[in-house]
Amino acid sequence: MIEVSDLSKRYGSFTAVKQLSFAVRAGEVLGLVGPNGAGKTSTQRCLAGIIPVSSGSVRIAGHALAEDPIAAKRALAFFPDEPRLFDYLTVRQHLNFVARIYGVRDHEAIARPLLEEFEIADKADQLPGELSRGMKQKLAIACGLLHGPQVMFFDEPLTGLDPLGIRRMKDSIVQRARAGATIVLSSHLLHLLEEVCTHVLILKQGVKIADGTLAEVAARFSQGETDVSLEEVFIRATGGTES
Amino acid sequence: MLSALLYLRATSFRNWVVARVRRLRQPKYLLGAIVGGAYFYFFFFRSLATPPGPRAGTALPDAAREAMEAAVTLPADWLPATTAFGSLALLIFTTFMWVVPTQRAALGFSEAEIAFLFPAPVKRRSLVHFRLISAQLRSLVGAGVMMLFSQRWSALGGNALTHAFGWWFIFSALNLHFSGASFTLTRLTDLGLQAWRRRILVLGMIASVFIAALLRLPAELPSPPLGTGIDLPAASEWLVALTTTAPLSWLLAPFRIVVAPFLAVDTRAFFIALGPTLAVLTLHYLWVVKSAVAFEDAAVDYAQKRGARLAAWRTGGRRPDDAFTKARAAPFPLADAGRPELAFLWKNLLSTWPYFTVRVWGLAALVIAGAGIWLRRQPEGPLLASTVGGVALIFSAYVVIVGPQFARQDIRSDLTHADLLKTYPLPGWQIVLGELLAPTVILTGVLWLTLLTAVVTLQPVGLGLSWLTPSLRLAAGLGLACVAPVMVALQLLVPNAAALFFPGWFQMSRTRGGGPEVIGQRMIFFFAQVLTMLCALLPAFLVGGAVILMLHWIIGLTAAVVCASLAVWVVLAGEVWAGVHWLGTRFESLDLSADLRP
Repeated sequence: MIEVSDLSKRYGSFTAVKQLSFAVRAGEVLGLVGPNGAGKTSTQRCLAGIIPVSSGSVRIAGHALAEDPIAAKRALAFFPDEPRLFDYLTVRQHLNFVARIYGVRDHEAIARPLLEEFEIADKADQLPGELSRGMKQKLAIACGLLHGPQVMFFDEPLTGLDPLGIRRMKDSIVQRARAGATIVLSSHLLHLLEEVCTHVLILKQGVKIADGTLAEVAARFSQGETDVSLEEVFIRATGGTES
Repeated sequence: MLSALLYLRATSFRNWVVARVRRLRQPKYLLGAIVGGAYFYFFFFRSLATPPGPRAGTALPDAAREAMEAAVTLPADWLPATTAFGSLALLIFTTFMWVVPTQRAALGFSEAEIAFLFPAPVKRRSLVHFRLISAQLRSLVGAGVMMLFSQRWSALGGNALTHAFGWWFIFSALNLHFSGASFTLTRLTDLGLQAWRRRILVLGMIASVFIAALLRLPAELPSPPLGTGIDLPAASEWLVALTTTAPLSWLLAPFRIVVAPFLAVDTRAFFIALGPTLAVLTLHYLWVVKSAVAFEDAAVDYAQKRGARLAAWRTGGRRPDDAFTKARAAPFPLADAGRPELAFLWKNLLSTWPYFTVRVWGLAALVIAGAGIWLRRQPEGPLLASTVGGVALIFSAYVVIVGPQFARQDIRSDLTHADLLKTYPLPGWQIVLGELLAPTVILTGVLWLTLLTAVVTLQPVGLGLSWLTPSLRLAAGLGLACVAPVMVALQLLVPNAAALFFPGWFQMSRTRGGGPEVIGQRMIFFFAQVLTMLCALLPAFLVGGAVILMLHWIIGLTAAVVCASLAVWVVLAGEVWAGVHWLGTRFESLDLSADLRP
């Protein structure tokens, strides 16, 4: 579903991501972890087609992102850490707009259960300014899910959610992965990754330190110990520093 | 404690200056600073160094020089009139301060100041002092800016310094009066005085003072000439007499004292006026300090709103407190399927005033057509109607040239959503086209209305314009109406291209209170827009002119104008098509995170 080959991202003379390669298959949830400035967000934004890659290639659901971005983007959804909403569109109008952009026919039949799932059905005629931070997040997610994406990118998905919202978000991610979606999420909350992810990729200064299933990565850094937490793995893998 | 607060203010100011100087290392700021600095030098500072009158190096005979100096300096007996105008203006300002407020007194602190100072062991009085000193510093900067303008009014007399200090005293007095009035009103409200009663009381009192002064005016003083023409000396004499008649003279006395340093004709007069002015300011200061009430709650509320407003403004959004608080009906139903560009039109129309609907446009057109026809049928109608038509044409040109700076419901407003837009499964040109539609529709609507006004009102009145027949006017109007959408779209491409190609510059131009470098940067943008437009319009007008020249002998001028309009439309539409695709390609490769990297 996601195939990344030698992906590099440079900003002028600064290289944020260096020759990154990995693949995520349908039903897998990949956790992207790393210290601040490791290149997680740049990677996600490259994969979602938001920013161009400097070199390398990305394939989303079989479509090369560089050559056929439209087909690739039809298959994906990107959820930023901060919900980006239009101030002047109501919840319902947001979904209407997104439906037209993605060509989702009879969108109301799809939107209704989504709004109910995220418990914002009663806010359908409200503007984002009237919603709490968590509700805005839910609306952004509902908009992203409207066209039934096969590939989803979450950047710090739990930011601003209350404990119940966090629980539901985790369930939602797992449920969608089980239904066959391919999911990449980046977060500093390692316990979230332990609960939700099937695979993990550790980045440091734009370079892949390790990737594989949680067990594989843990085994690599466990130094013979058993039951090593992801937090401990992360600290050992990154050397406990950002640089 | 006050020294710590002053340290905060002084250090912040120093760091602000250092940061501004440092960022000149970036070409976008340096170039803006050079252009802005040149603007300030040639329009303001150069005149500070030269005395009023002809520029240095201009040789004039003594008699001519004397005549010029006499012409640019107001006679001494005009001083009472300027004082009367100035004091009345201040009275109006202060009346608003007593009549308008509905909120509790709130001193303007920033969110950071509140976070650090309010929980700190600082007395309320120290906070008031801190605020007053901060306001004085701001007044000083404002006075400096105003001095640059007023220095050009050489007829007032005085010099740059007396003007600068004069403005400072005026701003300080207004600022102190505002704080004192806010505190006093809060106290009165706490005592049970309701807003409407207070307004009636204040306005009634001022009206009584005016009426009493009018009644006490000498009977032999002629009434001010109203109606046909204005006799300025007679009107001034009457105004001076009114403002120097008790009890109005008593009410205006403090205001007269405050404006006196600014209006001082020379340094001696300035120093004579200084004492009473400082006394008024001191009394104001004592009033503010003595009347200070609990302002913390209102200050927190004010700071939060201000912070949100500033944040929204900086990110290109609207003011959150007075916009988008109520959901709005969609401008038209948006079906699930169809051209995605229309979804952008639909979305962006929702972001603006609700008046841009077909119904409102239609009604406006009917009203304009009806009023124009009625006007032309009046006895003095043709001349008046033609004047209206001329103004409408000028306004049309204004809409085309300046309209894109106001109608910004396009990429410029959505630049903060670029990440989201880029995830849409649409080629860049479709996003650009969709984004351009709303301002194009809005400006085209305005243009059509102004053109309609011109068509129904303009008619040749003398001036050898008999060749401008009704059929030709109609053809020209329809031709312009046909060309309007593509011309507007082309105009809109320029600022949108600037936003996409120079996002760093574009973001910088949204910096508030930017100083010379931002003013210079805006000037660069404006001139670039005008130049680009001239280049883009030239081929279309050459083609249009050629068509008229070639065809008007064969098919007549009216038909030739119609053909020329079509030719112009084709050329402009081609340019728009090419521009949209070009910008679309740029949008696809846009990497804001890289472009905005410092």
